[in-house]
Amino acid sequence: MFLISDLQKSIKKNSINNAFCINEEFYTYSHLSQVVSNIRVILKSEVNKTDYNIGLVTNDDLETYASIIALWLEGKAYVPLNPEFPESRNYSIVEQANINFILDSSSTTVTLLKSQKIIKTRGLPNTGIDLVPVDIPKESIAYILFTSGTTGVPKGVPITFENLASFFEAFSVLCPDVHYKDKCLQMFELTFDMSVFSYLLPLLNGACVYTIPKSKIKYSYIFELMEDHKLTIAIMVPSIINYLRPYFEEIHCPDLKFNLFAGEALYLDVLQEWSQCIPNATIINAYGPTETTIICTSYNFNRNEENKTHNGIMSIGKDMKDTISIVVGDDDNELEIGITGELCIAGKQVTPGYWENHEKNAASFFYKNYKGENLRFYRTGDACYKDESGDFLYVGRVDFQAKIQGFRVELSEIEFHVKAFLNKVNAVSLAVNNGLNNTEIALVIESKEIDTLPLLDYLKTKMPQYMMPTQIKFIEHFPLNTNGKIDRNELIKLFKTH
Amino acid sequence: MERLNVITKLETILAEVLEHKNFVITDELTAKDVDGWDSLSHMMIITHIEKSFDIKFKLRDLNKLNNVGALISVIQSKL
Repeated sequence: MFLISDLQKSIKKNSINNAFCINEEFYTYSHLSQVVSNIRVILKSEVNKTDYNIGLVTNDDLETYASIIALWLEGKAYVPLNPEFPESRNYSIVEQANINFILDSSSTTVTLLKSQKIIKTRGLPNTGIDLVPVDIPKESIAYILFTSGTTGVPKGVPITFENLASFFEAFSVLCPDVHYKDKCLQMFELTFDMSVFSYLLPLLNGACVYTIPKSKIKYSYIFELMEDHKLTIAIMVPSIINYLRPYFEEIHCPDLKFNLFAGEALYLDVLQEWSQCIPNATIINAYGPTETTIICTSYNFNRNEENKTHNGIMSIGKDMKDTISIVVGDDDNELEIGITGELCIAGKQVTPGYWENHEKNAASFFYKNYKGENLRFYRTGDACYKDESGDFLYVGRVDFQAKIQGFRVELSEIEFHVKAFLNKVNAVSLAVNNGLNNTEIALVIESKEIDTLPLLDYLKTKMPQYMMPTQIKFIEHFPLNTNGKIDRNELIKLFKTH
Repeated sequence: MERLNVITKLETILAEVLEHKNFVITDELTAKDVDGWDSLSHMMIITHIEKSFDIKFKLRDLNKLNNVGALISVIQSKL
């Protein structure tokens, strides 16, 4: 598998360069290769040959990252287990993925699970360096991430080495010149696929990965890393710049050359202000579900020209290289330009399917003849439309399209008007059940309580009556989920009817 | 402002945001030691402190707040 041999070559070639900066401590590639080799030895001796899915406790340390590489060199997949997640959730993951072995760098024993063998990866004896990968079939799985399922049971998304290699090949066009001098931000919990990209991009190119200690406040720590260590590449979720917004005038990072956003809607107004803080960076808005390997479409922010938006949300652009994205209607036929439907994606980056979940696979994937080829498409659940020049515009989640009295309502449109009126105040609109099984629009505003009459008067001039929020609540700060996105499920609880 | 006054005011703010008084302010007290003091309530506490003391934290100040002692020093340095 060339991705893994590329990784091997990069580690070898860059031995004197820094691979990681974790909690203000630097580790060279040579140090990394030693720890990888040590873990490999214990994998060979302790883990059954036929066990491919190995659990990994996601700590913020060198051993955890080295474990990933060691597993890959052995042709095995890692399944991240966040020690801060509820035990029942981790248990469900371990059960579903048939995990018998868990790698753990924690110095104290975590009471994670009983019937699995815990393999400690910290303080292993040094062995000879061995970075030569075993023969890895391209359809072997590199990682399985579990995402929340609507039924409450997390579902596993396996990503193969081939998926991952296709992703990196496609991405290399967007950010071509990454090298050993680059310093790259890794702000993501390892259960989120943006992390894979954030550590693997630097490691494949001899650059240094800068992580965020779990005890630190993410957004302010990111700022210090950017300024003190002069980071050059940063992959982020948009909520980071929403948090940093009150402090933009304190931020000046001319060293940043590449800044990519993905994971949630990116608003043009905040991005334009942010772009002044990073005057020399290429800024990209990217899009991609876990199922299609990290990101698969991208849009370059233009500093001096108009940028495409829908309801203030930046366009997600075009397919990168090996994916084919189309917008379909209810009958799975492609819709015309400008018509909103569900975005569906085919191509080499698409997962082989949810882990042992036939029912979900039948619902989420379909075959379709497209331009003379029979392709397997993944239904993203994202509502988009395509414009004349082929750029996709993100409208919202298909399930954020509420039906109110029979009318289809885009929740993002309501948010757009609210934000336009309140100026720099964040707001989320939700479809809530009013207790009579009717759907109503609720609004949560991120601020102290304010008089909402002027807002409602303004909204009446912009939207039809059925789109008007009927319930409004205030919250000082939006709760975020572990991926750093606004936790809409938590917000909906504010409106729970009893 | 007297350090003691700062502490009293801080106590009120914490109790208000966290909705309980099960803590004793000491220099060594950290967020980990106090129920409900997570990253979200932390931001609310910061906002309340800014308002109530009429100060503004710099982005850099936020990373220095490793314990309540550090928080008190940063507040005092701005008064």
